[in-house]
Amino acid sequence: MTRPRELVGTWLVVLGGGAAVWAAAAALLPLPDYYLPPPTAVLAAFVELVAKGILPAYVGESLRRILLAAVFGLVVGVPIGVLLGMSRRVADFFYPILNFFQSVSGVAWLPLMLVWFGFGERTILIAVNYTVLFPVIFNALLGVRSVPPLYVNALRTLGAGRWRIVTDVVLPGALPSIATGLRLGLAYGWRALIAAEMLVGAHGLGFMIFNAQNFHLTARIMLGMAIIGALWLLLDYFFLRPIEEATIARWGLVQR
Amino acid sequence: MIAKIALRGLGHEYVNPFTRERVVALDGLELDVAAGEFVTVVGPSGCGKTTLLGILAGLVAPTRGSVLVDGRPVTGPGRDRGVVFQEFAILPWRTVEKNIAHGLEIQGVPRAERAATVRRFVDLIGLQGFEKKYPHELSGGMRQRVAVARTLAANPEVMLMDEPFAAVDAQTRITLQEELNAIAQATGKTILFVTHNVEEAVFLGDRCCIVSRRPGRVKALVPVAIPRAQRTWTLFTSDPAFSAIKDHVLRLVREEVGVEEGDR
Repeated sequence: MTRPRELVGTWLVVLGGGAAVWAAAAALLPLPDYYLPPPTAVLAAFVELVAKGILPAYVGESLRRILLAAVFGLVVGVPIGVLLGMSRRVADFFYPILNFFQSVSGVAWLPLMLVWFGFGERTILIAVNYTVLFPVIFNALLGVRSVPPLYVNALRTLGAGRWRIVTDVVLPGALPSIATGLRLGLAYGWRALIAAEMLVGAHGLGFMIFNAQNFHLTARIMLGMAIIGALWLLLDYFFLRPIEEATIARWGLVQR
Repeated sequence: MIAKIALRGLGHEYVNPFTRERVVALDGLELDVAAGEFVTVVGPSGCGKTTLLGILAGLVAPTRGSVLVDGRPVTGPGRDRGVVFQEFAILPWRTVEKNIAHGLEIQGVPRAERAATVRRFVDLIGLQGFEKKYPHELSGGMRQRVAVARTLAANPEVMLMDEPFAAVDAQTRITLQEELNAIAQATGKTILFVTHNVEEAVFLGDRCCIVSRRPGRVKALVPVAIPRAQRTWTLFTSDPAFSAIKDHVLRLVREEVGVEEGDR
């Protein structure tokens, strides 16, 4: 794997080039300003929204919601998935059900949830937690099923009981898949969150960019989009990757 | 005297899940292994050797007959019977020392005592300096050394080995066989060692048990009356007594393989 440090230079060049093309297009093309604002307008929007405290508040709101869902997935989803995966018959029964609900994302549920839970925080949280939960359960189940029976047998011949096999073989063996589930779940959840915030309109980044459209504040929309992507990168780099590095990469279970 | 291990009329049948065929893996297998004896079980591929070992380990329940260890029937896996598997069965998420200590950890042996035992077995298998390494950082031969050490450290009365050196290169295999020979001599463990390799069976065994092709039963028991201390690969390849036994066992095994090999 190439170290990020070596890539930073290349990224800066590409980003700078892209911004230059964008600035040139905005200046030269005969388009109204709200159609394609220049990069400087986006920067100005950034400075303005930070100064007013709007951006930090919205970012904080969205992060709070996704982190809550992350904790929920970890505390509720992982144990459910592990339990369901312990028995082959139970796992076979739940597999298509979980796969089904995993594909009906929280966004598809939103219309129904708005009817049931109203335009408020409750709907946002339910939609996001739901979206995170299913990939987490599904992948934890798959992870438990994929633990080689050989390891279980080896431990039984060492005199291990059921609980010992769960803690020493099943959980560590399922961890790569559990990590994948959390990563997927949070990635889906992040999308669902933005969508829910747009529809419900109770603060957050999704609300910010949707609302900006009403006032033709195109630079603000672009800024919001960039921040949505950037926040995910940070979340992944500082939260999800370190977990993988400390465990499965060290054990040689993933090739990098 | 009661045999350490007694196999009585052992039979095993199962249905192959893919072909749905009924397979008779073992049929009326009888064998006695004395305490401290090293018996190698050799036979053609698919003669039920691995099934036999699984039954002894208590991982597979035989459909007929019984397995007695110290006169008591085997009903499940137990730490009196340690197993070294053919595939790499040490845990990838544990370091060398943690893998070796695993059986002791399960037994609830205190940390300090565990550490001392681990040191002793790390020395025995010559992996000093690798204690903190994870299995993926080791060669195949090193991983199987760790597997042998893990089983030995738990101090079982019987060691069951299922072609443990089949997956390592020829050079390493010879080294591992010599090491196992030394370990057998030093610990005096009762060992049942399954292999399809005739040279390996003769080099290691006090007796070679030749199993017929499926359904497996004991075709012959060939004693190898060469003292353990004298067993080196140099002697093995030059000593006429060794060669004679090897040829004899090879002939017996080939009679079983014969038809199958001709078909290929």
